[in-house]
Amino acid sequence: MIRAAEPTERAAVVTVAPQATRPLPAQARRRSRLRRIAEHWPQYAAISPFFTVFLVFGLAPVIFSLYLAFHEWDGLGSMHYVGLEQFRRLADDPLFWQSLRNTLVIWAMSTVPTLAIALVLASLINSAKRLTSFYRVAVFVPNITSIVAMAILFGALFSTNFGLVNALLHSLGLGRVHWLTSPWGMKVVIASLITWQWTGYNAIIYLAGLQAIPTELYEAAKVDGAGPIRSFFSITVPLLRPVILFTVVVSTVTGMQTFTEPQVLFDAQLPPNMGGSGQGGLTMVLYFYHQTFDNNRYGYGAAIAWSVFLVVIVFVLINWRLLARGERAAGR
Amino acid sequence: MDLSRRQLLQAGLLGAAATALGTVAGCSSDAASDSSLKLWYWSGGLDPKVLTSAGKQFPKSHLKSSVIGGDFKQKLLTTFAGRKFVPDITGIKGEDIASFFPDASRFHDLKSLGADKLQSQYLDWKWKQGITKDGVMIGFPIDIGPTGLFYRADVFGKAGLPTDPVTVSSQMSTWDDYFKAGVELKKALSNTYLVVDSPSVFGLVMGQSTKQFVDENDTFIGDQEHVRTAWSTAMTALKLGITSKIPDGSADWNAGVANGTLPADIGAAWHASDISGAAPKTTGKWRVAANPGGPADIGGSFLAIPKEAGDPELAFKVLTWILSADNQATAFTDAALFPSTPATYRMPAMLKGDPFFGGQKTIDVFGPSAEKVPVAYVSPFDAQVRAPFFAELADVDSGKDPASAWNDAVSQAKVAAKQAGLKVS
Repeated sequence: MIRAAEPTERAAVVTVAPQATRPLPAQARRRSRLRRIAEHWPQYAAISPFFTVFLVFGLAPVIFSLYLAFHEWDGLGSMHYVGLEQFRRLADDPLFWQSLRNTLVIWAMSTVPTLAIALVLASLINSAKRLTSFYRVAVFVPNITSIVAMAILFGALFSTNFGLVNALLHSLGLGRVHWLTSPWGMKVVIASLITWQWTGYNAIIYLAGLQAIPTELYEAAKVDGAGPIRSFFSITVPLLRPVILFTVVVSTVTGMQTFTEPQVLFDAQLPPNMGGSGQGGLTMVLYFYHQTFDNNRYGYGAAIAWSVFLVVIVFVLINWRLLARGERAAGR
Repeated sequence: MDLSRRQLLQAGLLGAAATALGTVAGCSSDAASDSSLKLWYWSGGLDPKVLTSAGKQFPKSHLKSSVIGGDFKQKLLTTFAGRKFVPDITGIKGEDIASFFPDASRFHDLKSLGADKLQSQYLDWKWKQGITKDGVMIGFPIDIGPTGLFYRADVFGKAGLPTDPVTVSSQMSTWDDYFKAGVELKKALSNTYLVVDSPSVFGLVMGQSTKQFVDENDTFIGDQEHVRTAWSTAMTALKLGITSKIPDGSADWNAGVANGTLPADIGAAWHASDISGAAPKTTGKWRVAANPGGPADIGGSFLAIPKEAGDPELAFKVLTWILSADNQATAFTDAALFPSTPATYRMPAMLKGDPFFGGQKTIDVFGPSAEKVPVAYVSPFDAQVRAPFFAELADVDSGKDPASAWNDAVSQAKVAAKQAGLKVS
């Protein structure tokens, strides 16, 4: 789209410039812009550290990884250009497809409860009369707790023979579940860990959105005889749509990059960084880490990383289309 | 004094620039004038006391040893890729050594520095692990991990099994005998398992094999008889119901070791510290015997001299001094590094009894085990090709059908082998 816009813009400049009555020559305009930059050099210098650091440690590695994705490199020897070979291998790699499936399943299993609970929590806090700051802090604390420490704790909670979760199930007369070694159990543990960490974060965002909804709407609804549940679905949810869209996009971006949770949870199980038994907890980013840093396959790892990027883009676009269309429909 | 905002900014920027310049200048002058010998190792990889005495022994070397935390191999690779600040001597873990072989040219061939003269003092199989297919020696043996059977003598006694290490060694010398004992143990004591999990049995039987997953001609052999045997050994135990299916090293494993429901574990000499860490209250109740199926090696590492080393001859002298038979005895006492020099096994440091094992002299088990570890060719790509087998076996433990798990493991391993450029039939 951007590329398509360029020629017309350039054409406009060419045709308009000679006809303009008081033209400011392009050169002069450029010079004045340079002068403005020169005048404000301390400000530019003040913001330069961020951009320098970003360029060196952010942008440069990203571009280098794109270059790497077309090469074969073990980190020590020389690089060989292999064209699209890495991506072709990826298409034939059953483990990559499994990691993609795992990631999507874990994302769905974590995002839906996270956002649903967050919305409910936010409306509860919003209607609370006392201790509101306490609730806000309490709900946000999980988000800033070390995820590594929590993964270790969850590993203990969900352990088969001596975990609290199984002890609870046992006392209810239910059987033990192999949470950490069965394909579905592993995904449940990872998803619950993500839910635990991100519910509060999303609740705070929803809370900000809720406070922007005028109270008159609720009062009017009450006058019309709507109960709290009716006004939740008829006022709160539709008016929060842009905020919900934002949280869905953020959850997609972070959910597609799930890494720490399976890495720590299944750390002790034998092939390192392979997502444990039957690769049930192997996510795309964990597979990237495994291929890159355990197997020293930097080119292949870069190809996986860029595939993750593509998957994220695709899902963000799908989310966007779905929710944006809903908004248009709601607007009509 | 009144400072305008602009002046303040300028002063700040100048200060920052000066600091940056100073750091850069400091770095470069440091690298140029510093003739010290830099050695990298990970915590527990070498004995710090031996390193201190090495510094005194070779004052001219100005030996500077650094413990590198985190992912050691990754930091070493990054430094190698940058070609700056590369250490003169570096540790390389046993599981990583083969992956450095394709880039052996980045290291000094230790044979050209005179390693051949010392070969007779070191274990033959360990020595060969540091040499590439083309005969370039990049790794010099530090320590090894000879295996043994750790078991709770009190629990074995309760179940009517032999308790004395010599009897256990002879009566449970084959996997079949060992599994028979497991059946008896489970019959006598409910919920008590002799075998921890399937992946660990598979790994051990593979460790006892002279062939691994890839042969010297870069051909994938992971679907052949020796791998099938290791797989079916693990399956035999599973079918007998004597496998706990608890992943080794997990929270459940810790609990099982502590409460006696996992009264045995096969592991390297260093695994003793995992057991004593998980179950400190069981001190004195454990013993070590020869493990079923013959000795294997798990872990153990190497020292190497990168090409960037300023004075490779001096580095080699320091390296071989650190790893001499006498100093390996000190390292065993201080850091529990099991020596790669058989002469050390007869030194007083190793003949002491271990209170965790009821005063047993564990060298009586680990010494003979160390000298009989089979020599096997390990390909640089072995780790990538072997991984699917372990993941699938763990899946079998949680209920997957063994036959389809085997097929999945082999097909995944073949994909990995093809991607690594190996021949797959």
